Amino acid sequence: MKRAVLLALGVTVVALAVYPALGTGYGVRSALQTFMWIALAGSWNIISGLTGYVSFGHVAFFGAGAYAGAILVTSAGWPWPVAALAGGVAAILLALIIGYPCLRLKGPYFAIAMLGLNEVLRALVSYFEGLTGGGNGLSLPTLDASVPIYYVMGLLAVAVTGAAYLIVTSRFGLRLMTIREDEVAAEAMGIDTFHHKLGALLLSAVGPGIAGALMARDQGYIEPLSVFPLATTVTMIVMVLFGGKGTVWGPVLGAVVLFIAQELVWARYPYVHPLLFGAIIVLVVLAMPRGVLGLLQMRYRLPRTI
Amino acid sequence: MAAVTPVLALHDVRKSFGGVTAVHSVSFALEGGRIYGLIGPNGSGKTTLFNCITGVERRDTGRILLKGQPIDGLKAYQIARAGIGRTFQVTRVFPELTALENLLVVTRGDRAAAERRAAELLAFVKLDRLRGEFAGNLSYGQQKLVEFVRMLMRDPELILLDEPAAGVNRTLLNDLLDAVRALRDQGRTVLLVEHDMKVVMGLCETVFVLDHGEKIAEGPPGVIQADERVIEAYFGR
Amino acid sequence: MLGQVIVSGILSGALYAMVALGLALIFGVMRVINIAHGPLLMLGAYCTWLLYVGLGLNPLLTVPVSMAVLFVIGLVLQRTLVFRVVDAPELSSLLLTFGVSIAIVNLAQLVFTSDLRAVEYITGSWVIGRLAFSKPRVIAFLFALGVTALAFLFLQRTRLGKAIRATSQSREVAMVCGIDVGRVHMFTFGLASALAAAGGALLAVIVAIQPEMGGVWTFKSFLVIVLGGAGNYPGALLGGMLLGLVEQLASLFLTTQLSEVVAYVLLVVVLLVRPSGLLGGRQT
Repeated sequence: MKRAVLLALGVTVVALAVYPALGTGYGVRSALQTFMWIALAGSWNIISGLTGYVSFGHVAFFGAGAYAGAILVTSAGWPWPVAALAGGVAAILLALIIGYPCLRLKGPYFAIAMLGLNEVLRALVSYFEGLTGGGNGLSLPTLDASVPIYYVMGLLAVAVTGAAYLIVTSRFGLRLMTIREDEVAAEAMGIDTFHHKLGALLLSAVGPGIAGALMARDQGYIEPLSVFPLATTVTMIVMVLFGGKGTVWGPVLGAVVLFIAQELVWARYPYVHPLLFGAIIVLVVLAMPRGVLGLLQMRYRLPRTI
Repeated sequence: MAAVTPVLALHDVRKSFGGVTAVHSVSFALEGGRIYGLIGPNGSGKTTLFNCITGVERRDTGRILLKGQPIDGLKAYQIARAGIGRTFQVTRVFPELTALENLLVVTRGDRAAAERRAAELLAFVKLDRLRGEFAGNLSYGQQKLVEFVRMLMRDPELILLDEPAAGVNRTLLNDLLDAVRALRDQGRTVLLVEHDMKVVMGLCETVFVLDHGEKIAEGPPGVIQADERVIEAYFGR
Repeated sequence: MLGQVIVSGILSGALYAMVALGLALIFGVMRVINIAHGPLLMLGAYCTWLLYVGLGLNPLLTVPVSMAVLFVIGLVLQRTLVFRVVDAPELSSLLLTFGVSIAIVNLAQLVFTSDLRAVEYITGSWVIGRLAFSKPRVIAFLFALGVTALAFLFLQRTRLGKAIRATSQSREVAMVCGIDVGRVHMFTFGLASALAAAGGALLAVIVAIQPEMGGVWTFKSFLVIVLGGAGNYPGALLGGMLLGLVEQLASLFLTTQLSEVVAYVLLVVVLLVRPSGLLGGRQT
């Protein structure tokens, strides 16, 4: 069984690796975006799926990375791959600044604090107009780097999923889960919940930070509304909830399925799809709180690595 | 008589919630290698006292010393790491972790050794075959056992048991009590809160009695049983 | 200058307090954080707008109507969706109300579009000495005070109000006393929605109406609760005033863009320093 799975994985990786040579520009773009969603959803899962601390403002890390990367490319002339890494660092710093005060509190307080984060960052971006271009946005020098970005984003998706795998199979991951299960008992058992939560938040911020910087390079232009939209957080959440929060492959499943659905069906009705996502969140929470893979995991006693 | 540092010492510990004083200047000292009981009518402050000792609550005033070192300002996880283990009144296992994972998660360091020890402890309470079962799916009695051995994983010197007999059948209870005696024989100190008088009288060497947040009596079970103040506290004036 | 700050702060403070009271009730009674609170306020604003534009009603008269409509909507939401997550882990209720809030906002966007709407009623200020009292804000202030006072009277004097307070303190005890907790939950959610709607209706004459206007109100309501202490209903009043004052004070030194940041920083600071609220209250 395991060999078959590894073989399937191997084939998929190879196919994805050669795809840019065969596919259309639109296809490459779509695949690139799917990788991005896998990275975003997988990252959100690390904090919210494992520790149960819902991060409603996670797109803030994406936006922070986007701006950091874009500014470094335009003002400092950095090459975009390095700027992308810097985007990740910027996101980590933001996570530290926000996480340090907010994670001392219980889950609901953290959720509300994250809810407001988005607006604050948008306001700050507008305020520091000189650096960020404010409401007018920031344009990057023209460059068609879709294909290299495709590969980098793909690597990011792999890295995030791999990180999730390592975390879930380690005692660190188990400790994160105890925070979700019963934080008081976890503390009574000697687990330093604060630092674990902080660690999870930092880990969950890197992916979006890098992805944001990469998308900034790919789109060539960013502005506050495009990189801090609530819709991005909503989409991340829906993907993880649908696929299975707390599982390794749940976010991947959710990202792929919902992205395809979004492209095929809902992109035609731009206002319906966020509405539908809201409805899906409600439905999943009520009917299938563990998501598809979570449900299968419970029903068929599948290992944690699913 | 040589003065030995008590394993646990409380000096004038006080805790209020809003206008209600739950614990009102309680002091006592626990010597190593003995089993102590903490009894009192409902609302007398027993669980609050436990919570103050283990860091779940912060006491308002007073000192709490573990082997001579103050622990009253420490966080719960630091106190746990200092060598205090506890179980809860209503069992708090981690439901979506397996029984084995429940034990494993409290350990650090050599994972293989930890897994072996966890398996041993589970075998000790005859839950070995259920080690891969989600703790939430276990029966209440089984959960209680898991919580008990999970507490032992960190090798605590001081053990606080919050109503270990609650909701447990006689056979299981006897096994638990034997285990507690074995722990005492290993040199550990046990303090238990309990309502079941038979358990307290049969197990504890010294009993403290709380009423309305104050310690009203302290002594061997036989003496306590005959103490007028204790009888008044339980049966009213 | 300072006088003006205090005046403006108090005027907006009452509105904050009234809306936050709704959120506090839901949290106190059901332990649910209703992220959809702000969007419900938004619906109240649109309700007023519809009545004003469609029927030419005096906006002040629409306040009770908007409240009634949202009361029903709140009741329905609770009875169909929220009740299912009242006993679930907090994560579930957070996500559920989040989903509902997204759905409501986007529904509004579909129906009303993002075009800014306005209700023209009264403009200008009364000037006393060196202080300017913005007319629409004064009216909103008076209404908010009135509604809040009524709400408190209701909570203190009526049977249902006492049932709500009892359930908020201890659900088990309330059940033992024969209180129909399910009914209490439904009514509380309806009442909270009505309070939000009142806020929206009053705001409709002050600011522009658009589907996303509610989001920041959820956040600020929560901030008010944190300031006043969770579970401390009168605390919400002072919390509201405090928020109003702090915001106005900040606007003296910072641009309006940054006033949002002020609210946020205030939340973080208070949570760090005194998580049980400035006036103390129950912990979550």
